[in-house]
Amino acid sequence: MTTYLIRRLFQAALTLLAISFILFGLISAAPGGFMTVYAEKSDMSPEDLARIRAKLGLDDPIPVRYLKWLGNLLQGDWGKSLTSKRPVLEEIASRLPNTLLLMGLMMICTLLVAIPLGIFSAVRQYSWFDHFFTTLAFAGQSLPVFWFGLVLIIVFAVLLKGPDGRPLLPGAGMYTLGEPFSLWDRIRHLILPVTMLTFVSSAEYMRYLRSSMLDVIHEDYIRTARAKGLREWKVIYKHGLRNAIIPLVTLVGLDLPSLFGGALFTETIFAWPGIGRLYFTAAMKNDYPLVMATLMIYSALIVLSTLLVDLVYAALDPRIRLS
Amino acid sequence: MKSFKPLFFLITALALILAACGSPATPAPSQPEQPQQPAQPQQPAQPAATEAPTVDPNAPVKGGTLIFGTPQEPAILNTLLTTSSIEDAVTSLFVEGLVQVDEKGEYVPVLAEELPTVSEDGLVVTWKLKKGVKFSNGKEFTCDDVKFTMEGALSDLSQVSTSGYRDIETLECPDPYTVVATFSELYAPYLRLFAYIVPSDAGPLDQMETWEYNQKPWGTGPFVLEEWVPGDHLTFVRNPYYREEGKPYLDKVIIRVLPSREVGIQLLGTGEIHALWDITEADLPSLTKMEAQGVTFSAAITGENELLVLNFGANDGSAPADPAANPHPILYDLRVRQAIQYAIDKQKIADTLLYGNVKPGSTVLPVGPFACPQPPSEYNPEKAKALLEEAGWNVGTDGIREKNGMRLSLKINSTSGNLLREQTEQVLAEMLKEVGIELTIENMPSDVFFAGGESDGLRDLGKFDIILYTTGPALDPDSHLFSNYTSYRIPTAENEWSGANFSRYINPDVDRWIDEAAVSMDTATRKALYCKVAEQINKDIPRIYLYERLSITGHRKEFRNLLISPSFVDFAWKAQDWWLSK
Repeated sequence: MTTYLIRRLFQAALTLLAISFILFGLISAAPGGFMTVYAEKSDMSPEDLARIRAKLGLDDPIPVRYLKWLGNLLQGDWGKSLTSKRPVLEEIASRLPNTLLLMGLMMICTLLVAIPLGIFSAVRQYSWFDHFFTTLAFAGQSLPVFWFGLVLIIVFAVLLKGPDGRPLLPGAGMYTLGEPFSLWDRIRHLILPVTMLTFVSSAEYMRYLRSSMLDVIHEDYIRTARAKGLREWKVIYKHGLRNAIIPLVTLVGLDLPSLFGGALFTETIFAWPGIGRLYFTAAMKNDYPLVMATLMIYSALIVLSTLLVDLVYAALDPRIRLS
Repeated sequence: MKSFKPLFFLITALALILAACGSPATPAPSQPEQPQQPAQPQQPAQPAATEAPTVDPNAPVKGGTLIFGTPQEPAILNTLLTTSSIEDAVTSLFVEGLVQVDEKGEYVPVLAEELPTVSEDGLVVTWKLKKGVKFSNGKEFTCDDVKFTMEGALSDLSQVSTSGYRDIETLECPDPYTVVATFSELYAPYLRLFAYIVPSDAGPLDQMETWEYNQKPWGTGPFVLEEWVPGDHLTFVRNPYYREEGKPYLDKVIIRVLPSREVGIQLLGTGEIHALWDITEADLPSLTKMEAQGVTFSAAITGENELLVLNFGANDGSAPADPAANPHPILYDLRVRQAIQYAIDKQKIADTLLYGNVKPGSTVLPVGPFACPQPPSEYNPEKAKALLEEAGWNVGTDGIREKNGMRLSLKINSTSGNLLREQTEQVLAEMLKEVGIELTIENMPSDVFFAGGESDGLRDLGKFDIILYTTGPALDPDSHLFSNYTSYRIPTAENEWSGANFSRYINPDVDRWIDEAAVSMDTATRKALYCKVAEQINKDIPRIYLYERLSITGHRKEFRNLLISPSFVDFAWKAQDWWLSK
């Protein structure tokens, strides 16, 4: 087990090194670069531009810049944002709570919606219920997120009015500005983005659970359980679900990093001040230390969660052995 | 279920923690937004507010919270380190300069008593400062702050233009309210210096990047930053030490970060925001439609033109320094350039694409102290055809002109994703087709379009026929005319791609006039010289000015006294006078 763990961690480090190399190369290869923010400031002389470029370390060739960046990182220095001059970790930390709130709620809602729907669809296979939600799930998986988000905004934040004549739901932000803290206000702002995210990701979870549940309920031991005279709900939950839910663990585990990464489109559409939007803004401004840090932390979390899923899997299912 | 419980527990616990973590970002419980409330003198600091609200609907009402929306996000608020226009705009709520540009584009004194005076030889410039001005932290504003600002601009870490400041040999403070700068050489645009002041207690210059001031700044302006939730909003409150009595009228100004302009326009209609910063001409129709919902806009000419840059040099990417030796096969001929100008109906573009909200472009200097209006170019397709015939371009079988087997076909490049620009290009293509010129369109992301020569940017390499974008002089035309129209500023590999004379336009007279104006301290002389330049440019046609760009702020009708300066930098230059009516 220990050898296995050491080997996996070593592989993870190598993977991350390769990822960082590719990411840095891609970001540096993108045309323009940070200096274009000054291009339209007509009073900047070439000397000024040269001085700023040198100061920001943009003069070095790309491999040198990469090695410098990597060297600093290995010493624990993630660098500073080119635009705000703050350490990038501080920038990320300041947005983390917002993203965790949004994505955490999304994850809970998704599980609350997807698990019962998945079970019920499987148990009542080919019923109108099953057909209805299977169709809805396909829609959820196929809808482009940004389009769906805009539709939600137009319907609930522009067209539909509440009793006070104001839009039914707020279309952007985390709370109403200038008003004292109110839990209800917070919840109102969460409704649209969480609904959208839940709709899209429940679809996937529900489909997964439905098919694994279908596999399970045709197993012999389910028939045995029924033959023993157990009540139907006990058969489904105790014998069916426990076995069917294992694949879902993989899915949840692999989705855990997105708690950190946030939802790029959702946060951008709903002006949610989370990490997804931070990353988007940084990428638009070619703020490469911030872009690199966000992507690297996200990559690290994915690599680690894959490992974690493998470990949890082994614990849940005694048939699986790690070697 | 046993084995699954921990995961559920973990997620629930996590979410609870997050929910708790989220709370500190909430604005501290404060008075609710109250734009509808009549004036209530709440703070003892405003003795002038004792009168009850008058019957005059145009008399300013005190109090209220104004919410400004912007799709851009500020990252830093130190004027020496800002990189985006939203940052310059937001800092103008609390940063003031010795001078500023008013709504007519003229310089007016702000922290200075009057505009600076210049010695006989033009090398010594003297500013008299207002007395008794205090920063929002209570410190008095003196000559030391001016000196610190100059040192800051010239320091290693600064990211601002050092033009002018680097020519100052000594800057002395004979008394706290007098600033005497001695220049090593004549610096004609001296008026624009010190358009911002950085307080001398902001921190040591060699640690500028870690100043607390960057995120929690202060200044002499009417407002002071109270709270900043990155990516969400910034709250500004009155500066308790602001020098004008009874002002600012507003209690608070909140800058709210929005996902996009489109959402911002909707929020203007619903009244969730009072104003939307930096919208474009293309958004004006949707604002006009919301007139009944209480939405309107204010605009000023920025001095910039949406324009076409015509390439004189070879378009093969060789970046020739002298187009005469290596000319563009079609555009080097003045008659072709004149024909293009004659073929373009600028008024039609302004009327149909911009709903008559803009003026057709006619000059490089449309506004400000150096404005030089020129007669509008004539729309005359017949003249265009005649000129093209004269130049040897005859109509071929498909209606496009030809000469020695070469088709009169040109490519136009611009930034992609801008609907108005795309429409403009299509209209241009139709107009040029009328006279037998084929125009093909190729757009690219703005990063690619504006890339420098070191990244193979097409402008620096001269790898284009015609490009479409916006540019123009900011405040003083000096640096813009120098970098865009003189032969010294043709970007080449040798000069490391410095300069913006992408047309590769060479006219010795223009060079000379711009040089002369740069060393004259007399505004009238400079204005006359720049006017000659503007006139000559219109004869040589390196660029065709399509329409004059506007700086537009959409706002609700109850937002009063919003005066727009043509300079983006001075966005909030009269924020002390802003008020909200019922």
